[in-house]
Amino acid sequence: MKRNHIIAIVIIAVAIGALVGSLYDSSTYADLDQAMAHPGKEFHVVGTLDRSEAIIYEPSLNASLTTFTMLDLQGKRCTVHLAKAKPQDLERSERLVLIGEANASGEFEARDMLMKCPSKYNEENKVDASDAFSAKR
Amino acid sequence: MIEYIGEHTWAGQLGHVLAILSFVGALLATMSFFLGERGKKLEWIKLGRLGFRLHSLAVLGIVVMLFTMLFKHWFEFDYVWKHSNLQMPLRYIASCFWEGQEGSFLLWTFWHMVLGNILIFKAKGWEAPVMTVVALVQVFLATMLLGIYVGDFRLGSSPFLLIRELPENLGLPWTGMANYLAAIPSFADGRGLNPLLQNYWMVIHPPTLFLGFASTLIPFAYAIAGLWRRDTNGWITPALPWTYFGIMILGTGILMGGAWAYEALSFGGFWAWDPVENASLVPWLTLVGAGHLMLVNKRKPNSLFSTFLLTMITFILILYSTFLTRSGVLGDTSVHSFTGDGMLPGLLVFLLFFIALSVFMLIPNRGQRLYFVLVSVALLLIGVLLELQVHAILLFGAICIGMLVSAYRNAFASKEPEESLWSREFWLFIGSLVLLLSAMQITFSTSVPVFNLLLEPFDQFFGWIAEKTGSSFFADLSTAKLAPPGEAIAHYNKWQVPFAFIVTLLISFGQYLRWKDTDLKKFRRQIALSFVLALVITIIGVLVLQYRLAELNLIALFFSTTFAVVANALYIPTVLKGGLKNGGPSIAHVGFALVLLGALVSTSRQNEVSRNTRNMDLRFLNEAFNNNEDILLYRGDTVRMGEHYVRYKDKTQKAVDMVFNMEYFNVDPKTYHNGDTVRVGEMLFRSKTDHQAGKFFLEDQPANWEPLETFPQRVLWHAREWTSTRPGAPVFQLAPFVQLNPRFGNVAEPSTKHWPDRDLYTHVRYADLAMASDTADDLGCPTGCTKSKWVTRSSPHRPWPLSIV
Repeated sequence: MKRNHIIAIVIIAVAIGALVGSLYDSSTYADLDQAMAHPGKEFHVVGTLDRSEAIIYEPSLNASLTTFTMLDLQGKRCTVHLAKAKPQDLERSERLVLIGEANASGEFEARDMLMKCPSKYNEENKVDASDAFSAKR
Repeated sequence: MIEYIGEHTWAGQLGHVLAILSFVGALLATMSFFLGERGKKLEWIKLGRLGFRLHSLAVLGIVVMLFTMLFKHWFEFDYVWKHSNLQMPLRYIASCFWEGQEGSFLLWTFWHMVLGNILIFKAKGWEAPVMTVVALVQVFLATMLLGIYVGDFRLGSSPFLLIRELPENLGLPWTGMANYLAAIPSFADGRGLNPLLQNYWMVIHPPTLFLGFASTLIPFAYAIAGLWRRDTNGWITPALPWTYFGIMILGTGILMGGAWAYEALSFGGFWAWDPVENASLVPWLTLVGAGHLMLVNKRKPNSLFSTFLLTMITFILILYSTFLTRSGVLGDTSVHSFTGDGMLPGLLVFLLFFIALSVFMLIPNRGQRLYFVLVSVALLLIGVLLELQVHAILLFGAICIGMLVSAYRNAFASKEPEESLWSREFWLFIGSLVLLLSAMQITFSTSVPVFNLLLEPFDQFFGWIAEKTGSSFFADLSTAKLAPPGEAIAHYNKWQVPFAFIVTLLISFGQYLRWKDTDLKKFRRQIALSFVLALVITIIGVLVLQYRLAELNLIALFFSTTFAVVANALYIPTVLKGGLKNGGPSIAHVGFALVLLGALVSTSRQNEVSRNTRNMDLRFLNEAFNNNEDILLYRGDTVRMGEHYVRYKDKTQKAVDMVFNMEYFNVDPKTYHNGDTVRVGEMLFRSKTDHQAGKFFLEDQPANWEPLETFPQRVLWHAREWTSTRPGAPVFQLAPFVQLNPRFGNVAEPSTKHWPDRDLYTHVRYADLAMASDTADDLGCPTGCTKSKWVTRSSPHRPWPLSIV
């Protein structure tokens, strides 16, 4: 066997290893039911903030703990403990991705959170425009 | 037909016309240069130049128009409304220009256009084939700015669209008002620029990065030209300077991005393996690999196939990154990816076309080329007509790989004896392959959302394996809901640290090897000093920085980067005898290794000093929760933090910035006098002597303190707690601030104290931002508490720690 063949085999092996490794280290998107079914396993849960419940952030107790309620895409509700200071725009968020795990008592403990805020563009323009239009009439 | 009042309709129309002209010009140039190369006719080449000039003028015109619209605040245009407003300082007009999807495509097109014009002057004999490729790429980019409809399918997206022309607004009542601009308040001002981007880095970082991206096109074009002329060696010499130009500019752009993230953004570091960051690093890695292989193959064909592969893959990775970050395919996985806006099909076609072109050019014989074209077209039709895109793409990928293997065996496999194990070319070849592997690993992990789409056809198969073996890994694969690695930084470091180790090791001894073969005795003699020096520095470094044995991979990388710095620095005096003429590579390698060494030490020895000492313990909720991230300060509070006392003095508002003034004090030992009373837990103690406090109360107590037996409860409440230190002289101030932006949300920007050996990084995590709290609001507060709350997170980057507390 020539040296180049050995090199080629090693390269292909490492490449496949990297591919499988990246799949293996991947987390999983899930809904709350799945996360609750596997407490202690890390998931990414996509959902929205439940605005009917209070957001509890009390820096004098702990500056790195925010507690709120989320709704997943199936509409299931769950209390979330986020181990971060309250993001400035949490109230206005339109989509949350929580990274963490469920605990035994059915709450979600999030290590981190990604947040999408709305581009207020469409709603604002439409509302304002129709107001102006009806006012003119 | 309504006559709208106050609209600058002409500007939009002119913009559209210019966009079409730039497309037509590029198309004309592509066809003329193509025919010029085929027939070797100067007339065609002249026509090609004309076409490219037309294209260049049109692109310049578009740039001027877009700047004018932004500068004049014509908010009836969607792009202007979305990306600028009246309050914004003029210097950020440039940032608005390239903040959006269309503007950044325009920036990219602009740089290609500039480089293309230089090539027309400089490429001489290679002009026709190289410019064919450049102009062809411009055709694709020009369509991205067209924004015209072909049936229901929108081709590209134009920056010259009026808001009333947007599809979602068509037919709304207000679009029928002639004076809508004056009547609707929303049109008086734009939405403004995202506060994260109102920063001078945003003015200089994107143009640099895009110039780097653009310069990868030139080596690609030369590679295609070389294959076209079947001159598999000749293209390398003219392509070489462009490749190193690209390495330099793209590298600078990446470093600028890191500096921006560290200095001005509240990310807490300079590199976070975010998809958008990776998108710029990956092509740089393969470009470096390609550049080094070019050096080898310039002399004699040795690893030509790899040279072609890396050169072409660099440009294709640029296209892939564009696809990944701009098509919306990343979705929720990145904080700063673009949202698609229907660009996916266009970008996918752009990417697949150039993959197909590269494979096509590498195939040596006519019959196979024809077969490849037929199969590709068939797959395209299957994909589009039968809605089996994923299957078609997977099959296309498999066929491309098959074609590449066969092309290698037929045309490139070397019949000559293998090069010596101790030749420079062999190890350059290995190094380039390691860079390719490193790039592949990053690409795989960034592409996890793409795998969800590509693995769909195999769902049942993975489900079947999962059932048979009970493996949860395959069960996850079969549901195709993979998310990016949870611990992204740990995941990437696990793979990239070994790659970096091999690459820096090769950098250190690579130049000491000779072409063809090396006298090993001489080699050992030349390298010995560097090796020993690096070893000594590593041992000192490990002791000073307190690396543990568990961090063996970091220690190894510390050694290899140090070795690379020392060996390359010593190469100039020892081997080159001080001649700087050939010292360029050594200097570049020293620089690269220093960057890596700095990144290694500062990220591995970074710690958070803002320990959250007085709050409830978070770990009772979850063991993984980090308790020590933030410290809470009320206004006027002085709290021990790391090697300083920190005091939140006050806050001031400067325009849109709420600035928090922080004072840092030295830590001085506390002195107690005879008769002083302190509280320790529920007990009171009185000092018997004048003394300086030690580290622990229990050590001081027998000699210096006597407990008080009886005392009124009131005294206990008022007594001060024992401390071993007190704030000393003020040493410096930091002023992190929060940029107030009601539309996009507030953005915290850090403030950093730099020492030669470490940094102290501070930013506001959460704060009461109301200025009013200084006055009326405070009355409602219980005594002893001001309303301004302060959370700061500080993590010094400490390359050389003084003492770890």
